[in-house]
Amino acid sequence: MSEKLQQIINKQHRALSGDDTKIDEVIQLVGFIVGDEEFSVPILSIQEIIKPISWTRVPQTPAYILGVFNLRGSVIPLIDLRSRFGLETMKHTEETRFIVMKNGDDVAGFVIDRLTEAIRLPKRDVGPAPDTINEAESMIDGVGKQADRIITILKVGKLLERNF
Amino acid sequence: MDEFEEILQDFLVESFELIEQLDQDLVELESRPDDLELLNRIFRVAHTIKGASSFLNFDVLTHLTHHMENLLNMARHGDLVIDADVMDVILESIDLMKALLVRIRDSGKDGGIEISACVERLDAVANGTALGETVPAPVDVAVPKAAPEPVIAVAIAEEEPDYSGMSEAEVEAEIERLIAVRQAEDAAKRAHKAPSAPVAEEEEPDYSGMSEAEVEAEIERLIAVRQAEDAAKRAQKSAEPEAPKTAPVSVSTPQTVPAPVKVASAPRKVEPKEEGESRGGATVEQTIRVDVKRLDHLMNLIGELVLGKNRLIKINDDVEERYEGEAFLEELNQVVSIVSLVTTDLQIAVMKTRMLPIGKVFNKFPRMIRDLSRELNKKIELEITGEETELDKSIVEEIGDPLVHIIRNSCDHGIETPDIRLAAGKEETGTIHLKAYHEGNHIVIQIIDDGKGLDADMLKQKSIEKGVVTEKEADAMSEKEAFGLIFRPGFSTASQVTSVSGRGVGMDVVKTNIEKLNGMIDIDSEVGKGTSMKLKIPLTLAIIQALLVGVQEEYYAIPLASVLETVRISKDEIYTVESRSVMRLRDEVLSLVHIGDIFEVERVFDNSEHAYVVVLGLAESKIGLIVDSLVGQEEIVIKSLGEYLKGIEGIAGATIRGDGGVTLIVDVAALMQMAKSVKSTVGQESAEAKGRSGVKNKPSDYTVMIVDDSKTDRTIMRKSLEPLGITLVEATDGVEALNVLKQGDYIFDAMLVDIEMPRMDGYSLAAEIKKYNKYKNLPLIAVTSRTGKADRMRGVESGMVEYITKPYSPEYLMNVVKRNIKFNEGL
Repeated sequence: MSEKLQQIINKQHRALSGDDTKIDEVIQLVGFIVGDEEFSVPILSIQEIIKPISWTRVPQTPAYILGVFNLRGSVIPLIDLRSRFGLETMKHTEETRFIVMKNGDDVAGFVIDRLTEAIRLPKRDVGPAPDTINEAESMIDGVGKQADRIITILKVGKLLERNF
Repeated sequence: MDEFEEILQDFLVESFELIEQLDQDLVELESRPDDLELLNRIFRVAHTIKGASSFLNFDVLTHLTHHMENLLNMARHGDLVIDADVMDVILESIDLMKALLVRIRDSGKDGGIEISACVERLDAVANGTALGETVPAPVDVAVPKAAPEPVIAVAIAEEEPDYSGMSEAEVEAEIERLIAVRQAEDAAKRAHKAPSAPVAEEEEPDYSGMSEAEVEAEIERLIAVRQAEDAAKRAQKSAEPEAPKTAPVSVSTPQTVPAPVKVASAPRKVEPKEEGESRGGATVEQTIRVDVKRLDHLMNLIGELVLGKNRLIKINDDVEERYEGEAFLEELNQVVSIVSLVTTDLQIAVMKTRMLPIGKVFNKFPRMIRDLSRELNKKIELEITGEETELDKSIVEEIGDPLVHIIRNSCDHGIETPDIRLAAGKEETGTIHLKAYHEGNHIVIQIIDDGKGLDADMLKQKSIEKGVVTEKEADAMSEKEAFGLIFRPGFSTASQVTSVSGRGVGMDVVKTNIEKLNGMIDIDSEVGKGTSMKLKIPLTLAIIQALLVGVQEEYYAIPLASVLETVRISKDEIYTVESRSVMRLRDEVLSLVHIGDIFEVERVFDNSEHAYVVVLGLAESKIGLIVDSLVGQEEIVIKSLGEYLKGIEGIAGATIRGDGGVTLIVDVAALMQMAKSVKSTVGQESAEAKGRSGVKNKPSDYTVMIVDDSKTDRTIMRKSLEPLGITLVEATDGVEALNVLKQGDYIFDAMLVDIEMPRMDGYSLAAEIKKYNKYKNLPLIAVTSRTGKADRMRGVESGMVEYITKPYSPEYLMNVVKRNIKFNEGL
């Protein structure tokens, strides 16, 4: 009887620890489209996603900084990811969204073309950024491989870093 | 010491927490006097505080809590029934305890609060004496009453092992007595009085004449005396069953005999002073120390409230416009005005809590002047007025440095040496007058000296020598501008660098600091007579009055404190001098800069022959800022742009407007700097604008938008206009129309607008469209079945140029449209 019990306990234990490692290895991302490519950022770095609202231009800033907008009483910078990535700017559509990302105290809104989905990706499917990209300057954290596509994972810290 | 400080802090935090709980418990106790659990809890509070305070050497507090503990302990053991009278005494003692704790927190000492009266009452209650009889000497009471109530004595003896043994009691009595005697002697020494009863009574009339220290000493002495007396009494009481030993107590402490006698007269004697004390005590309780962080947080919250209020007012205006004459409007109006009034009051109230008298800064100057005059061998007198003038804490902190520099400057360069003064026929002693007063929303600090004054020519000369300005610049300067030279970095009139001045840094610091506070500096000076420097500083920094200006479709907020005036000028009045725009403002020449040039605003149109000039003044410089429109004055809350966008030149921050949009706040100081390097484009935009307005070559170059919620109506209009061959765009309501307009895919020449539409009606649409400078001149044609005169009036008010009533003939519509889009004229 006790042997049997022990077996069950062991089994449960194995199952539990097995689960644990599984959870550890999965990263959750939110995917979105900018231009023709799909990008993603870790879900925990996203404060919220809102539909486009009006913003105010701020002078003396690079073109990719659209300005600032009011998010429930806080003034938050708005960055156009298309022009940040050197793509041509486009009129906002029904699918355009502002993703408000945070990293510590830094918060900014990013304009993206459209959202795709929340992605659960096993860590082993995430490869490093291509070697050709300068590590320090790169905004890419890694590349996630899925059956039918690859997803670029962005460094939120880098996105929120002021570079002008 | 640090360790002690830490313990002290813990003790205070704990004590205040306990007391908070205590208040609630006591109130409950009054209704449930038999609740043992509650009593135990209260007892423990007194006990804990007593324990900790004795450890920290707070004798007065220990003394008080000890007596409270006694009383509560009796109640706990059922020897005392808590009635209203007893509760009064307990509450009184707790209030005193609080006051003592506050005193400890503020000064680190527990002296200065009279507790003996309360202790007496506590004891009296404990001894079962009627409260009214507490004033007479307690000694008489204690002795006879102690005998018939041996229970009490036993209870005390049980709870307080200290006193159960006679020898210990003796020791304590002796110690306390000695302390008392020494303190009494000290006090007496200071008061030049012997610590004997008759003399003490003679002291009575002298209290008013006593200095604070003396009063304090006297109080301490009295407390000590009471302690000694109580100790003796306690010893006596606990010794009651062993009567013979009572005598040794009094014998071994022969001086306790005079002590109680003295104390017997104490209550009477204390009374007049108590009044004074309680007045002093009341002021202690009327002020509380609050962490500045909390005030800042409160200020932030008020800021949010002000924004909300602004928004509410705006919505109210909109609603009023749309539902004119409806009954609920009046009520809404009332609510809005009450909210707005209360918010304003609240804001003022919170602002006031942050106010400090400027005396805090002024206080250090007399000493400074004394030192400086000795160092410089001059005779200088400082007169200070208005030191009670209050201003925001953050400003008080910032204003100190500039004032130090200005006063040093006045001493060093302004006031002459005594012999020169005498030679000039002035008094030997120079005077510097420091003055502070309120002027509207500003505080003015004026520093006036009767020294040699500023010599404009000399200043110019020196500036040229030091390379601060070129000769040409110097020649063009007015006297005031020349005075302003002293604020330039690198400028100094002192021929040699002394410890006081001459490095050419100080006055530059003044200017930077004052500008940081959005303040202005005004210098007046007359050679030989003296100099007056006027600093005008806004009262507060977080919420400011701002002038909202428009340029194209953008709005900017300019701190009103920096706005001297606004003028409307025709474009002919702008002259160009060396590729800079200037204008004549009365007898001054004002250099101009367009806000669009500073903030890189794309100028797509030129709306009129006129321009508005906002005359900005900061510290001692002035500039005219050309804007397209003046929106009005509004109270704004300054918000930071955050880490990502900080430090943008010309922008001091942002604020959230009533409509929820963000408006940037102009940094006037930076703007003035930027203006120097910006090439003027004033007057050039009209040519550009003409090129952009587009040439119409064929009918389809004309575009008209049809806004109507009814498909039928839209079709009728389309059918009527199709023969013209112009491009037609349809929208089903105001919101959609506005979106189409904003997208900018078409440049519209006219709009046909229905009045009654869902989501946004025609009037609101018109009003919204007119908010955009770009569409100011876009013809809006109302097409509606509303035919009333009032409707027509509203149409005109909201900016409609034509008013077509349904039904209409296709030809009529076509003609109206043709007229408004100037069809054929361009072909």
